[in-house]
Amino acid sequence: MPDVSMVVNGEARSGDVEGRTLLVDFLREGLGLTGTHVGCDTSQCGACVVHVDGQAVKSCTIFALEADRAEVTTIEGIAGPDGSLSPMQKSFRDHHGLQCGFCTPGMVMTALKLLENNAKPSEAEVREGLKGNFCRCTGYQNIVRTILAASGQDIPVTSVE
Amino acid sequence: MSYYAPTSLGDVWPLLAEGEARVVAGGTDLFPTQGDGPPPSALLDISRVDGLRGIDHDDDGWRIGGATTWSDIVAAPLPPAFDGLKAAALQVGSVQIQNVGTLAGNLCNASPAADGVPPLLTLEAEVALTSAGGTRRLTLTNFLRGVRQTALVPGELLTALHIPRQPTGALSSFVKLGSRRYLVISIAMVAAQIWLDEAGRIGGVRVAVGACSPVARRLFGLEQSLIGLRPSDLVSFSMASDALDTLSPIDDVRGSAEYRRAAVERLIRDALGQAVERSDG
Ligand SMILES: Cc1cc2nc3c(=O)[nH]c(=O)nc-3n(C[C@H](O)[C@H](O)[C@H](O)COP(=O)(O)OP(=O)(O)OC[C@H]3O[C@@H](n4cnc5c(N)ncnc54)[C@H](O)[C@@H]3O)c2cc1C
Ligand code: FES
Ligand code: FES
Repeated sequence: MPDVSMVVNGEARSGDVEGRTLLVDFLREGLGLTGTHVGCDTSQCGACVVHVDGQAVKSCTIFALEADRAEVTTIEGIAGPDGSLSPMQKSFRDHHGLQCGFCTPGMVMTALKLLENNAKPSEAEVREGLKGNFCRCTGYQNIVRTILAASGQDIPVTSVE
Repeated sequence: MSYYAPTSLGDVWPLLAEGEARVVAGGTDLFPTQGDGPPPSALLDISRVDGLRGIDHDDDGWRIGGATTWSDIVAAPLPPAFDGLKAAALQVGSVQIQNVGTLAGNLCNASPAADGVPPLLTLEAEVALTSAGGTRRLTLTNFLRGVRQTALVPGELLTALHIPRQPTGALSSFVKLGSRRYLVISIAMVAAQIWLDEAGRIGGVRVAVGACSPVARRLFGLEQSLIGLRPSDLVSFSMASDALDTLSPIDDVRGSAEYRRAAVERLIRDALGQAVERSDG
């Protein structure tokens, strides 16, 4: 079986995979990083979003071997080394941006790139930026508020806090 | 399954010539259609081939490499004639899909609903198909043969899209109708390009419609009938009763043929309107 190596959350990792092993399966089963979720088999839901060489990608839509020698960041790489939440994660908690939490890792990874590319997005731009991430619980409203708040903008005070 | 990721084109040809390797670029069409079926016996990943990704420009026009992604198109400095292509790029799935999915993959997959095709038809794009033996150039219309059918023969790779110089002052647009706003397969879509003559009237128009025939089509008759109109006429001009006759929409899960026909007329007006609007913006 081919050997694959990549830098995952700042650490060099390697393993044997089959040619057809998806990146998400390598992360979850090969490396035990189960924070990255799988919510569909059609590349639609976004629960599996990770960063590969600085871009948000759906890890169910690339093979582990395609990420050979790449820099990969998963949700496990977002909090501080002592487990303290990053500002984006804290914003999800503070603004009730999750319920069951299944979609949350993908939402966080997508949201981080969204703000990296557009530091002060409008509400419409946040919604547009989230179109590849599905949530069955929150109705999106609080996720949008979470991200606007994380960007340092005022958010309307109407809904649940 | 074997997996190859060559970094030079020279290493691609022997792998392609053996005929068992399936080409993969972004994988965003290949993976979802793969399902639980047995994987191909070999995959040839072209995303690392040197020189295959990116956009170049010279006096003859633009060359878009065969591994160029939708996000590359969005980020590229391109004239307004490409606004329609950029608008389509932003509507292909979501940002994560645009980051890896390629224009060439969209064309080679040959879906009637491929969002890249109508704007590339209005840009009069050609494809370069290369094999160990050399390169041939085909118009997009000759390349796309039918539903999931292209002119690619075993051993060939789509190495580039060539876009000729565009008419001076050309403006363009793309409108897509789906069952919801985001992440949706088109029920119908229209790309338009317009340029004005010295008197400020329509000097030329190109209109292409997708998802209403096995392969997206230009509407040459309609285009002719618009020449010489004023831009403000574009919203309300009377469309000839046979203007859409070359389309052959079907009934499917996304909509009925009748609905598509009615929608397309509206989409064409919207696309033309959006293209001319850009002239004052
Ligand atoms: C969630 C989701 C949403 C999507 N939404 C849209 C949408 O809104 N609009 C739309 O049009 N499409 C959509 N798609 C389909 C897909 O993303 C696009 O068609 C994309 O452009 C395909 O490019 P790719 O590089 O991923 O192709 P791949 O999957 O890598 O390849 C597709 C096919 O082309 C062949 N191929 C690829 N490159 C070459 C080449 N250079 N030479 C020869 N053969 C080649 C492959 O062998 C394969 O048969 C969506 C897909 C997903 C998963
Ligand atoms: S698991 Fe990757 S998009 Fe759903
Ligand atoms: S919080 Fe449950 S799916 Fe989003």
